[in-house]
Amino acid sequence: MSSRPLRIVSTGLAAGALLLSAACGSAETEKSGGTEVQATPVTPSTSETGSPSPSATPDDSGAKTVEVHFTEDSVEPLGKVVKLDVGQKLVLDIDAEVPGEMHVHSTPEQEIAYPAGESQAEIVIDRPGVVEVESHTLDKLVLQLEVR
Amino acid sequence: MIPLFVPLHGLGGGKDLPIPAPLAIAGGTAALIVSFCVLILAWRRPRYEPAGPGLRRRWLDRFDSDGFRWTLRLLGLVAAGYAAIPLLWGDDVRINPALGVFYVLVWVGIVPASLLFGRVVAAVSPLRTINLLLVRVTGGEPEKGVLRYPERWGYWPAAIGLFAFVWQELVNPDQTYLDSVRLWLAGYAAAMLIGSAVFGDVWFERADPFEVYSNLLAKLSPWGRDQHGRLVVRTPLANLATTVPRPGLVAVVAVLFGSTAFDSYRDTARWARFSQGGFASWLEDKPFRGALAWLAGDTVLVNALALLLFCLVIGVSFTVAARLTAVEGDVRRRDLPNRLAHSVIPIIVGYMTAHYLSYFVEQGQITITQLSDPLTRGDDWLGTGDWSVNIWLTLHPTVLASIKVLAVVLGHVLGVIAAHDRALTLLPRRHQVVGQLGLLVIMVAYTATGLYLLFGG
Repeated sequence: MSSRPLRIVSTGLAAGALLLSAACGSAETEKSGGTEVQATPVTPSTSETGSPSPSATPDDSGAKTVEVHFTEDSVEPLGKVVKLDVGQKLVLDIDAEVPGEMHVHSTPEQEIAYPAGESQAEIVIDRPGVVEVESHTLDKLVLQLEVR
Repeated sequence: MIPLFVPLHGLGGGKDLPIPAPLAIAGGTAALIVSFCVLILAWRRPRYEPAGPGLRRRWLDRFDSDGFRWTLRLLGLVAAGYAAIPLLWGDDVRINPALGVFYVLVWVGIVPASLLFGRVVAAVSPLRTINLLLVRVTGGEPEKGVLRYPERWGYWPAAIGLFAFVWQELVNPDQTYLDSVRLWLAGYAAAMLIGSAVFGDVWFERADPFEVYSNLLAKLSPWGRDQHGRLVVRTPLANLATTVPRPGLVAVVAVLFGSTAFDSYRDTARWARFSQGGFASWLEDKPFRGALAWLAGDTVLVNALALLLFCLVIGVSFTVAARLTAVEGDVRRRDLPNRLAHSVIPIIVGYMTAHYLSYFVEQGQITITQLSDPLTRGDDWLGTGDWSVNIWLTLHPTVLASIKVLAVVLGHVLGVIAAHDRALTLLPRRHQVVGQLGLLVIMVAYTATGLYLLFGG
């Protein structure tokens, strides 16, 4: 007779304890399983002058170049699709008003930290698939790499 | 404090390439042709109704023995206990296996496990076992709660639970943080334990999102029950026809199907542009911008509404299509959607296969290697820590794309046949062909949309 209310009270207590333990979970520091890359700053003396390259241009070595421009709260391009071959080098010409970080959702993941000003970073994807390049700083999708 | 790492998406790195256009077109055409062949040429009398007795064998009863049941329950408790180690005590790092267990092994693994072995979640659910043990301790009966479960609620609690899961998986920006998974699971455990104490263990069959999902998938497995509740073997389509229509069944399949479609759509660059700024700039010069401005800056809310919209579109379109027929006798038109909803299950399986196959195979392997080091200290408890991940599927995109299209088309064919067979029982003779048209059109639309999304939107 008294078993049912007892059961409800006990499950209620158990559930409450569960919720409490979840809510009290501490914020932990993070380590990443991927690799981290520092974009190389481009000093005015070494940066090549001349033709402003259109986006995603392959050069002689077969590498493609994409210009990425960051302001404080926006990024250009936004969600642009770039087609690459497996193993083909993608060079990001970064021009940023503030320093930040990008994530390349390949396997394993890669992270690119870039400084304020002009810098360059390289991405090589070693297997077919779609890889997203996201701005961690702005939480936005910058590029979608279609690798074949 | 800004966390150091916030992936926008769940686990894993690369995603599948879009399927090639010729394959998508071939798949769509095949679906269309098969559909009309089924409508015009297939059998004129229902084959799967009334449900046959199924194949009985003595050895089948062994699976119903107490010993076997408790072995499975024990396995479920041990597995859940092991998974709780990284979940509760592990570090919030990418190599913590808790996330892979939750989003890959459990959520995606339910599909192959239920298709092969039947009602797996009901058999191993640790919460069911805890409830059972609690009942034993307090001396009650597991079937009896304080209140009777209201039949008109049907599967609605499960539909809500499933939506809560897909929201966590696809929309919640904290999806890959342990705290958010802990909170979700705590809420889930609380809802299950309190619900089963109040309504008895029927609560799990109606409200546990994982169990309801698994039980529906199990209807496509060969394992069924005859009218005496004994274990029998049936062909999957005959088994599927034994799905019990209850209120909310359409909602359950709509959430399952709609969310997977949304997941595909969300991966397209077009949606990223739209949700992350395109919407705001489109809104800029519109007269009603003031009314929608609250939405423009909130990517999470835009995603949540889009997810809900995808589920609603599936639910409403199916309901309308199923009701677009004349009825006679004691068949009520408003019952039609739920009585036909089982036909969407094979379509869901086909689409889930296409959507998750490589993810499950490769991320599943990664999770198993990570499980060997649950506290991310470099341990190797299970000896699986140094397994290398086989990425054969990723390296053969054409094979992968072909399997995906084949899965979608096969799911479509089974769905159309299941709907056809049920329609023959439900619809008056003179409306049997025309009455099925609405449903057929909506199924072709689902399959075509699915292929289009796999094609890359």
